[in-house]
Amino acid sequence: MNIYRQELRMLTPSAIYWSLGMLVCLLLFMLIYPPVAADVQGLEAVLANFPLEMRKALGLSSLNLARVLEFYAFVFLYILLIGAVFAMKSSLAVLSEEARSKTTDFLLSKPVSRFVIVTAKWGAVLTALLLQSILLILFSYMIVRIYGSFSSSLFLLITLSLIQMQLFFSALGLFLAALVRRMRSVLPLALGIVFGFFLVQIINQSVGERALGYITPFAYFDPATIVQHGAYNPTLVIINLSVSAVLVIAGYMAYHKKDFAAQ
Amino acid sequence: MDVIKTVKLTKCYGTARGIIDVSLSVQEGEIFGFIGPNGAGKSTTIRLLLGLIYPTSGEAAIFGEDCIKRGPQIRQNIGYLPSEVFYYDNMRVIDLLKYSASFYHNVDQQRIYRLAEIMDLDLHRKIDDLSYGNKKKVGIVQGLLHQPRLIILDEPTSGLDPLMQQNFFNLIREENRQGATVLFSSHILGEVQKLCSRVAIIKEGRIISIEDIHALHNKNYKRFKIDFHDQVDAGYFNIEGVADLSTAPGSAAFLFKGRLNQMIDKIHGLNLINLTVEEPSLEEIFMHYYERES
Repeated sequence: MNIYRQELRMLTPSAIYWSLGMLVCLLLFMLIYPPVAADVQGLEAVLANFPLEMRKALGLSSLNLARVLEFYAFVFLYILLIGAVFAMKSSLAVLSEEARSKTTDFLLSKPVSRFVIVTAKWGAVLTALLLQSILLILFSYMIVRIYGSFSSSLFLLITLSLIQMQLFFSALGLFLAALVRRMRSVLPLALGIVFGFFLVQIINQSVGERALGYITPFAYFDPATIVQHGAYNPTLVIINLSVSAVLVIAGYMAYHKKDFAAQ
Repeated sequence: MDVIKTVKLTKCYGTARGIIDVSLSVQEGEIFGFIGPNGAGKSTTIRLLLGLIYPTSGEAAIFGEDCIKRGPQIRQNIGYLPSEVFYYDNMRVIDLLKYSASFYHNVDQQRIYRLAEIMDLDLHRKIDDLSYGNKKKVGIVQGLLHQPRLIILDEPTSGLDPLMQQNFFNLIREENRQGATVLFSSHILGEVQKLCSRVAIIKEGRIISIEDIHALHNKNYKRFKIDFHDQVDAGYFNIEGVADLSTAPGSAAFLFKGRLNQMIDKIHGLNLINLTVEEPSLEEIFMHYYERES
């Protein structure tokens, strides 16, 4: 528990900044909702000039932006992006912290097993992510409510996709951090990987190649698709959970076998 | 009882050498020196004992239990001071020490303050702001605060001023008197000599000798310096047991290990101007008699 508390303490400032970032992003987007809703025909006329592929890529082909929840779904894609980067970065950071700050000797010579260390560290990340989602559900509900009424269950479906996607990226971060011997900087790596997956989703949407949809969590939890079906795709939810589980198990194994050689 | 026992412990990093067939046994209550040049494998051995790295082959046990399988339990009773100390920068010294203490059963919090006082360590400063020597002190307190039964010190004195080194040595001796076993790794023979009863000498990954520190001294290594009027061959003093020989017309200097009479007989026939016979430093002994053995 002591490692968990310590890691959570070290994570808290960045968790607060990133959560605020998400809320600010939502607020700024919501500010343009009233004019968009007022002149949705005008907007659609403009968008009609864009190639269909591009509209698909931006998730605009099926959403009716005049409806507040569908506008929220459109904005949520960007919140997902921020959340994914945060999840990945945090996971990479906590598990490579010892190698970067050279505190390996301190922590690993303590009477704890590596299993406990990984569990405590990753547990702290999951806790931060969970708190972030709770915060986001509360505040975004209040914010969106200002602009109109909507189905709460659909709102929850959209918003809860964040934590599921974060599970994937934090699992991937855990795995990579356990695998790599020394990681110099964490944020550029997290950004690169998350945007890589996002790019796959953009290509997936504009080309409509279904196979691509299976390899990126941005397709598993595409807000526009969730709005369209009013539900998650159960297969994709299970794929997400399974892939995350495999990554976590592989990460634990890699960390357990790792040699922490002198710095 | 053997507190530390390794049998043919070997670690390879890929194809690079780590350590090869290291067999050691350190008895309860002794201060055991572990000496060798930088890169000889001292830290590798220590990291294997602590379970930071896994052995390629061989076995290591502490308190009679396997270092890998029972690592967490064993480490409950080990205090470790790494050669280079790094801690979470954003913490204050006291926060770090309390964090460290939280890993062990029944730590006497007062002990933190007592140790900090002995080492003259300011507990309320940020670790980030500390000098290397002060970080080292944090390392010392952190390694001793839970009254470990085995203390492992890896180059502990670098960065400490002489007064602090003295305090530190006294502290280690005191812990030893209370029953702690100490593994003291260093490349400075002088400090090992001050503290240890036995010493293992490691070179290029292999233990080349394990010696009683007093026996090491009593082996009759002498340093000779001779000035004389005679003309002698350059090879005159080059007999068995002589090392580091330097000669010039009318003088010679060398280290000698062997029967003194034999050397005195050699010198006896010369017309001497000056003769000094000194106790060589352990550095010299090490350099000229152990370096050649592998």
